[in-house]
Amino acid sequence: MSTCETVRDAIYQATMFLDAQKWNDWLSLCDESFEYSITSFSPEINYDMTYLAANKKDLHHLVDLLPKHNTDHSPLHRHTTVYSVQPSEDGKTATAVSSVLIFQNMLDGTHSHIDAGESRLFVIGRYMDTLKIENGKGIFLKRELKLDNRRLDKGSHWPL
Amino acid sequence: MAARNHNQWMAKPPLEQGEWIDSRVYTDHEIFEEENEKIFKSTWIPVCHESELPKPYDFRTSSIAREPIIVCRGPDNQVRAFLNVCPHRGMMIERRPSGSFYEGQPSGNPKRMTCMFHGWQFDMKGSCVYVSREKEGYQDRLCKDDVGLRRLRCEVKFGGFVWVNLNDKAPDLETWAGKPFECLRKSLEAEPLEVFHYHKAIVDTNYKLWHDTNCEFYHDFMHYHNRVTGFNDAYFARKNEAFDNGHIVVGTFEVNYDKYEGFESRAALSFPHLPPNQWYMIDLFPGINFNLRGSALRCDVVTPLGPNKTMIEFRGLGLKSDSKEDRMTRINHHNSIWGPFGRNLHEDLIGVQGQGNTMLPGTEARRVLHGRQENQTIHDENGMRHYYDEWGRWLNRLPSSPDKPYSAPKETEAVTAAE
Repeated sequence: MSTCETVRDAIYQATMFLDAQKWNDWLSLCDESFEYSITSFSPEINYDMTYLAANKKDLHHLVDLLPKHNTDHSPLHRHTTVYSVQPSEDGKTATAVSSVLIFQNMLDGTHSHIDAGESRLFVIGRYMDTLKIENGKGIFLKRELKLDNRRLDKGSHWPL
Repeated sequence: MAARNHNQWMAKPPLEQGEWIDSRVYTDHEIFEEENEKIFKSTWIPVCHESELPKPYDFRTSSIAREPIIVCRGPDNQVRAFLNVCPHRGMMIERRPSGSFYEGQPSGNPKRMTCMFHGWQFDMKGSCVYVSREKEGYQDRLCKDDVGLRRLRCEVKFGGFVWVNLNDKAPDLETWAGKPFECLRKSLEAEPLEVFHYHKAIVDTNYKLWHDTNCEFYHDFMHYHNRVTGFNDAYFARKNEAFDNGHIVVGTFEVNYDKYEGFESRAALSFPHLPPNQWYMIDLFPGINFNLRGSALRCDVVTPLGPNKTMIEFRGLGLKSDSKEDRMTRINHHNSIWGPFGRNLHEDLIGVQGQGNTMLPGTEARRVLHGRQENQTIHDENGMRHYYDEWGRWLNRLPSSPDKPYSAPKETEAVTAAE
């Protein structure tokens, strides 16, 4: 399998784990040095903003505590399309840019009798990933989700 | 008594006037329009922060009570506000959320606000400086001096927020909000602040329900984070202090951030003059909230869009002098609780939207209880009682029976006497 195919596989595998809320399986695709962030540029305040920044340890805390937090249980579904993969010269790492649309399949977020079953666009953005290639597998070193949204009616306690 | 029948459900609760309200104040279209007219067009609203327009000719657009507003910084460095409306034919002059007039635009010269429709131009003081083919069209019947922009009252205050009031006759900002800001004035004014976070939410709920949530801490039962970092003797002794004009201040205590797994003390980056890990909150009538948790300041501003639709703008601020590392730490502290993916904000929004879903226009009136009395400490609902008393005065409506004229509840007199 080529480096590009390996990277694509890892990104799509991550998408499926996140959709299935298998948070620890997703984290198993990440290196110990993994850095995760959700960012957005604001034309309102002219500022590159960070909405969430976490390392792997932070993410473990975050997902471990999910059962203790009230949340909107409407599942999220990511439609990820890998646009480009750029392997490094030595082939040991690669960067990738993917477009991502995240839909929310309404369950209990607002008024379940009316809204449940409907799918709404939740956020749109791009995954900017950096991976290392190890034993033929892509391991995430860094993921930045660059959101286009600055209107976030209800956010999420879940990693995106 | 177990579950109640309709008459029991609709009966007056066994509480005093002022300790409960009728939910029609959240659902009635006529009341909503009256609020826009009588309250929002006469109160001070912080439409942005001065750091959002750092250089001369920078601008920022906003709205209050459906009126479009533009705030710009002049070459004299002064921030001014105007209706964002061309006096010619009522076109919105500037449509971008922010930017600069320093450079020319497709329809106009540099350093001017230009209406793209017919090319009329205005300077940073709102004076009309160019009317296209003025002489040919008006033959001296109308000149530029007659058609300046509508100037709005504007003050930069309380940590550099840009406050605008549509009413030329309203009390000045210091009179309106000075006293509640005393608790934070030294911290907010010690050195310039800077906005690092902006996002907004539009939720199907009434704007007062959002403000209610900010005014009461009884809802901390919803937040696991707050329960573990706060619930102790010092927390329960924290006071809700009522001020004139419907404002309240929630007093301070030391938050135990390290009780929450993965969190850390905020002490190293406390705002100036603020003891470590303290937390103050100022709730201004009719729907503005300043929330300082040690290292980061949050400001919420509501824009009512309908009886059951509210826009809330969230800003996070740090010190302008922050190093890159300190700024990132402040951002993380802010976001971990108040960001859209943080521990608390998401839950607060679910809470008020749940209320909005049960209190839609046309639903039967509910009796909403504000009767917890705990010596004005953190779970006392005096903040909401104080708010609705002020609301009743502005609209001349009784909050527990909004078809009737306002009359003061007994408790209001007690609160006033305590002040």
